[in-house]
Amino acid sequence: MALRVAELTFFDYFASRYNIPVPRHISGAAEINKIKRSLEEWGGEAIVKPDVMSGKRGKAGVIVTVKNLHDALKEIKRVSGVEVNGKMPRNAYLVEKIPAQQEIYTAITYNSTFLGPSFTVSLAGGVDIEEVEEDRKVTIPINIYDGLDAYQAGEAFASLGCPKNLISNLSRVMVFFWDLFISCGMESAEVNPWRITPEGKPYACDFKAVIDEFNYKARVPGVVFPEYPENISDFEEEMAEWSAASHQGQAHVSSLGGRKILPILFGGGVSTIISETLEATGGSPIFLSDFGGNPPYERMLGTARICFSHHLARARLLLILGGKANNTFIDVTFQAIADALVSYVEEKGPVNIPVVIGRGGPRLVKGLLAMKQALDYLKLPYVIFGPDTPVTMVAEYAAKLVNGISNLKEV
Amino acid sequence: MRAGNLADLLKKGDWVAVSNIAGREASHVSAVSQKYCGNISGGWALGKGGQKIETPKGEISVFATFEELLRLTPAEKLPNKILVYSPPEAVYGEVKEIVKYGEKIVETIFIVTEHVSVEVTAKIYQICRQANIDVIGCNTLGIINSHDQVRIGAVGGETPEESFKPGSVTVISNSGNMVNTISSYLLSAGMGTSFGLPTGKDKLILSPLKELLVLAEKDEKTKLIVLYVEPGGTYEHEALGIIREKNFSKPLVVYVAGEIAEKHNISLGHAGAVVEGSKSSAAAKKQAFDSYFGIEPFRVEKKYHRSPELTASLARGIRVQALHHITKAVTLIVSVLGMKKDFSSSKPLGLNPWFVNLGELGKHLPAELSPAPGIVPEPYSDQVKQQSKHLLTGMIRQSMRNASHASSNDGVTPRIYGYSLLEVMKEKSLAAALILYWTGELPRDSFEERLAEMTLIAALTNGPGTISAQGAKLSASAGNNPNTAMIATLATIGLTHGGNGAKAVKFLLESFADLDIKDPYQEYGELQKLAVKTADDFKKRKRAAKEAGIEYEHIPCLGHPVFRHEAVNYDPRERIIYSYIKESGRENIFLEFYHHLVLALKENGSTALVLAVNVDAVIASVWLGICWRQIMEKQMTMTRAVDIPFIAFALGRVAGGAAEFLDHQDFGTEMDMRIPVKECRTLTRPSKL
Repeated sequence: MALRVAELTFFDYFASRYNIPVPRHISGAAEINKIKRSLEEWGGEAIVKPDVMSGKRGKAGVIVTVKNLHDALKEIKRVSGVEVNGKMPRNAYLVEKIPAQQEIYTAITYNSTFLGPSFTVSLAGGVDIEEVEEDRKVTIPINIYDGLDAYQAGEAFASLGCPKNLISNLSRVMVFFWDLFISCGMESAEVNPWRITPEGKPYACDFKAVIDEFNYKARVPGVVFPEYPENISDFEEEMAEWSAASHQGQAHVSSLGGRKILPILFGGGVSTIISETLEATGGSPIFLSDFGGNPPYERMLGTARICFSHHLARARLLLILGGKANNTFIDVTFQAIADALVSYVEEKGPVNIPVVIGRGGPRLVKGLLAMKQALDYLKLPYVIFGPDTPVTMVAEYAAKLVNGISNLKEV
Repeated sequence: MRAGNLADLLKKGDWVAVSNIAGREASHVSAVSQKYCGNISGGWALGKGGQKIETPKGEISVFATFEELLRLTPAEKLPNKILVYSPPEAVYGEVKEIVKYGEKIVETIFIVTEHVSVEVTAKIYQICRQANIDVIGCNTLGIINSHDQVRIGAVGGETPEESFKPGSVTVISNSGNMVNTISSYLLSAGMGTSFGLPTGKDKLILSPLKELLVLAEKDEKTKLIVLYVEPGGTYEHEALGIIREKNFSKPLVVYVAGEIAEKHNISLGHAGAVVEGSKSSAAAKKQAFDSYFGIEPFRVEKKYHRSPELTASLARGIRVQALHHITKAVTLIVSVLGMKKDFSSSKPLGLNPWFVNLGELGKHLPAELSPAPGIVPEPYSDQVKQQSKHLLTGMIRQSMRNASHASSNDGVTPRIYGYSLLEVMKEKSLAAALILYWTGELPRDSFEERLAEMTLIAALTNGPGTISAQGAKLSASAGNNPNTAMIATLATIGLTHGGNGAKAVKFLLESFADLDIKDPYQEYGELQKLAVKTADDFKKRKRAAKEAGIEYEHIPCLGHPVFRHEAVNYDPRERIIYSYIKESGRENIFLEFYHHLVLALKENGSTALVLAVNVDAVIASVWLGICWRQIMEKQMTMTRAVDIPFIAFALGRVAGGAAEFLDHQDFGTEMDMRIPVKECRTLTRPSKL
């Protein structure tokens, strides 16, 4: 799980705490006379940026240089309302424009090659690092216990031919960058670009980071990070809260925009495969789910209730599918789903969609019979498979069935 | 890695210690592992030292710390493999303790724990690398070595032998479930496994693929490797770089999942399955494998013609695009490369529905969408048969904390199964009310009602010498209150005294299970034949048991300690009920069967006399008759049908016990139930300390 950090959060909460120089900035919601005064202090020029939880703002055309108050106010209003990669901004803000003789890229991230943190640097700042040729960037491993030392950063800069007069300032600020990274439990942090003034002073001018929510350092005492409008449904939001309420069993969902199959799926890998198969065969799954990890009864009951309350009324087929579980008790999870289904019908009235089930694992037969009993009780049509039928075949069958029923209705 | 081949990660003879072994999952998994392979030498859990984990293969000792475990474990059982099941916040500390005390002993640590922070994961990697200890995880499920029949962790669930039969395929997977699932599919292609290894799919996988493939290449039993891969990290690119360089000698069959995440810009269930940078995407991984194999992904409809190019490509392997194509791709490789299948018999994968009820919908669907039920394979088929017996039509298990079918009270009217208690009081007898309360239905006629009443009266007493009457009298003699004396009565009935009726119902249910009998009060012509067969079967069992010198199971509810001296014996209480049935012009086939049976047993020489059909038998027969229709229509569980005669006897006898109490309280002398010392016999000689 990960918590993303937007640039304005970095400016307001992190930069000053870790001595990282950043440009002066002011909220777009500030009093007009304050914005005016800031513009004057900054030499009459500034950059308007949306406060949005998304990268690639430049490509979206929402980072704009302004040279007067009128344009500043106009752009603040405009960029505040422009979605970037499907995300709405909270607001917009003005940033001082830093004159630069050089732009630099740096990132600290955990690296699957080194199985530890690594430091990446390029003198080609301001562009997507993946577009930079291999010989123009360098990545070095960092000893997790020792951290990034100034001399290591210096060597990395020097290896790329960084002007010598910049290396000292840059290397020192990289130590602060490491301190920020490791002290806040980050998974990855990127400053792109650092703008280096003609005097050789670096400013972190764009920032993004991901904090590891499983790291206790992610919880900064006394600090509540601002909430960003998320492009997620009420269903995803409710499930995310439910998921966060306990570490027992998975309760992960992502909306896929489908309209036909309500999938209750088990296992991180299997659920991905099933969802891909459903999409490829026209099953139109409403969401991707992973409810494995041996959830106890109450956990599974709550999870199933949330799924049913949001989607059962409109779904055309209920699919309950997972591989051959190692750990998850099928009787416990299936009894909970069966009970949630019965409760739903008792509260909301009858449903009339087919149910396709496939599963394997500990206490399988008891679980399948519990589901069968509930479906007989509710008089729902069903087909139930065991672990000898591959999950992808069951998914293909479910997709064909839901489309077969649609064809019947059309006829 | 320290390991030189896969067997170094786990083989027969390795000993395992489990952290946090007293936890819900760890204790369960350890018990299953112990039953499967018995390789756990101990476990530890803070504050739980001294406890034992019960397993079918004996107890596992729980120590307070890892250090204590090492100190108190005999040298020959010191653990070289560690399974970490601790909560996320404790994992780092556990690993530090393992490294500190076990550096010279421990070879591999398997970390099952999910949600360990990436910082801690990186630290674990570093300290373990320095200590020359391999780490699998975090978020692995363990490992299984099929040839040695040993496992660590939960690979294979409760029945690892079901999916993991010794063979030539090693399955390496980012998903624990997929190791089990793929291995079970491979059996249908006639292939078993050598190893199953779920790496976990956290952000950092501490056993990278490039190293695992090297280990798999050195494993002689592994001829082919199946990989299940998810997005995230550059493990596959690095692995391919190395195996290209070294001319890797074993074919790979690869399934890459997760392109859906890129398409919808969503995160997947696995923490590490997050795309960062184009190389870590599923699309890039697919492309990298295809480029290495030099052949397009497997197509099920394609006819593959043998050629040197095909052989060369398949020697490197092939990627599949559907999970169930793995078996077909493996079959293709085995055939083209001239490898041997592990098993001669195999059954292709296909749709095999176990239960189908599409109702009306099924009638309108094309045949391919409305499949007929297939065959439930063993061992599930037996389980279905057994467990279906306990399921009821139209009923459902649910939380019963604040719910009851048996009674209700809306604040105005108390009810029994929906009938007003007040109306029942006005209109019905106690026996009718009890039938309603115990079965959910009123008696069908006065015949049933009267029979039930007679069983309750019959159960009241068989004189003061019965064990249950003695219970009440003892309690009275000790100066107890009536409720305690009634409890004493109940406490002194059991399966031998009073509860034999439960056994009788089981016996009758087994005897009549396969006969399609709708009405137990109608004559059934085959009773004598059934009785003779049952008697003959009993005789054979008895003889075989006697020859083997073991105890044999008696037919329940035959004979009585009092009524046993005539050539033909009767329990007079049974006679009354039997006569009532006959006088009513009816039949009770169960009681009738019992009478045929005692004659048949005498006839075939199993018994010297015609035994009495005792009161427990008649109580069982009467109540089974009352319950029969509901049992046949699956409206009543067998368990309930078995319990009801016992309850009927207990209810009658507890009323009888109350009567004994009242009598004893009024007329008994103080402590009169005490046996004088001189009447007590000593069976041991006095000894000196």
